[in-house]
Amino acid sequence: MSRSHRLLGVCAIAGSVAAFPASASAPARTTISISGSTSVAPLTAKLIRGYLRAFPGSVSFRLAQGGSDVGVADVARGRVTIGDSSRDPKPTDPGGIVFNKIARDAICIATHSSNPVKNLSQAQIQAIFGGRIRNWSQIPGSGVTGTINIVVRTAASGTQDAFDKIFMGSTRVSSSAAQKASNGLVAQAIRSDPNAIGYVSLAFTNGLNDAQYKGVGCTLRNAKSGQYEGTRNFWMVTRGRAIGAARRFIFWINNSRSASAIIANGWVPLR
Amino acid sequence: MTDRRVELLLGALASVVLLLIVGMVIFVFTKAWPSFANNGLKWFGPGGNVDDQLIDIFNSPANPANYVYKLRAYPLIYGTAITTIGAVVIGLTFALLSAIFIVEFAPPRLRAVLEPVVRLLAAVPSVIYGLIGILVLVPFIGNDLITAEQKKSVAFVVQLSGSSLLVAVVILTVMITPIMIAIIVDALRSVPRSWTEGASALGVNRWRVIWTISVRAARPAIIAAAVLATARALGEAIMLSMVSGSVGFAPNPLDGLTFLFEPTRPLAATIVDNAEGLSVKPFGQTIYAFAAVLLVSSLLLSLSGWAAKQPLKRYGVRA
Repeated sequence: MSRSHRLLGVCAIAGSVAAFPASASAPARTTISISGSTSVAPLTAKLIRGYLRAFPGSVSFRLAQGGSDVGVADVARGRVTIGDSSRDPKPTDPGGIVFNKIARDAICIATHSSNPVKNLSQAQIQAIFGGRIRNWSQIPGSGVTGTINIVVRTAASGTQDAFDKIFMGSTRVSSSAAQKASNGLVAQAIRSDPNAIGYVSLAFTNGLNDAQYKGVGCTLRNAKSGQYEGTRNFWMVTRGRAIGAARRFIFWINNSRSASAIIANGWVPLR
Repeated sequence: MTDRRVELLLGALASVVLLLIVGMVIFVFTKAWPSFANNGLKWFGPGGNVDDQLIDIFNSPANPANYVYKLRAYPLIYGTAITTIGAVVIGLTFALLSAIFIVEFAPPRLRAVLEPVVRLLAAVPSVIYGLIGILVLVPFIGNDLITAEQKKSVAFVVQLSGSSLLVAVVILTVMITPIMIAIIVDALRSVPRSWTEGASALGVNRWRVIWTISVRAARPAIIAAAVLATARALGEAIMLSMVSGSVGFAPNPLDGLTFLFEPTRPLAATIVDNAEGLSVKPFGQTIYAFAAVLLVSSLLLSLSGWAAKQPLKRYGVRA
């Protein structure tokens, strides 16, 4: 075989090997894949278990996280069946997706357990997170002295989006804030620093002190009654209207009594 | 299996690897181009707060004509440079001295324990170091080492909370030193015995033998170890995103001791923290721009490793 023939053969084999993975496998039919918000994920995990108890063997689930924006983008591209989102639809969202509301959730302002701040008004929260108040001595009721360390979420977070809209309004969050990637990391950061303050979903406040907002405590009862103002919606996003197994799952969540009981354990059910 | 068939097959495998690397580089650069094009060389310079700029890029309006691209990534590049250079300089010193001890001065029983332990440490996944950092080191430094006066002194610019440059450099050093020790030990052992025995016969003590002969002969391997460790440090993302501070800030050396306690966030950690925003087009292109900078820096690293070995060839050292 001549030199050029050998070279051609090598390139042909290389090209075919490289093209082989491009023929992707078809998606499975009876698996519901879910990705998205880290706040919605604990609720989704409980709902999946409840659904499989009610209808065993009907369908299998795959749950991932990644943040509200990842959920919305994945669903729009068809990579997952359902996307979890803890933020309301934005005008910059991709087209063709439908937001199905499943629950409501409270966002709590949390501090370290050795810093039992009782109540924070909206003006105080805007001043703290906006960087105008930087010392705990300026907040009455705080149990620590020294500088305030604010912990927030990264830009793509649904919790951050809800916090900005509900608590901050038009005030911008200070640029010296530490940006963490999930509720769990924010909770961990507050737990390890007595001077820290941040915001987490109600399900993540174990071991932390949550401050009252405008005199109303951040509890499930207050969120259900509507008295606590820091509540936001949880959505399950589908590509177009939900069909098939996904539609049955979302219908079960919205209409069945057992699903409402599961949601009522830590979140606000819609009925 | 004829020779011709084996040649074709192995050549194909090697070509696939090459195609993969070339494809990856081209993919990253095409995606990253709009971010560089809209900022020019100012992309690498200072100016404003990089976290605010990233939030503005993420909140760009939906109309492609109004995409926001403005970015001045100097704090991120500076953070990457000081954590990497700090960790490699400290790690290389430790690694060289430990390797000399293991090869020459360690009692046989201690050597039998040290060598497997070093190789084991080199294989530990980096996220475990990150967990130890975030659960042990960060609270210790934040609550016991940093004083309230230091926190107050920089309170109007940045907050000191324990996750800082110091933790990043310490854990990065611990992460990259074992592999450097392993490489340098192998290199020191492969120096021809006739050289070291000849020097001992002339009456030179063990320390001078190993320092003036073995270490000089092993310089190419020491350079290779340093390049490998720098490459690992440059690419370390998850661990640094947990412990280095989560703020795009350039620590100021003029602050004295507080410089070590200031937070920063190297490029790879920034990519990991912001990877969720890939769906927003200009934000995704900015993240690809960070990746392109990391790719170019690893290329420059390999080139500098090669260039550092060139002067050694003059003395007949097998570089």
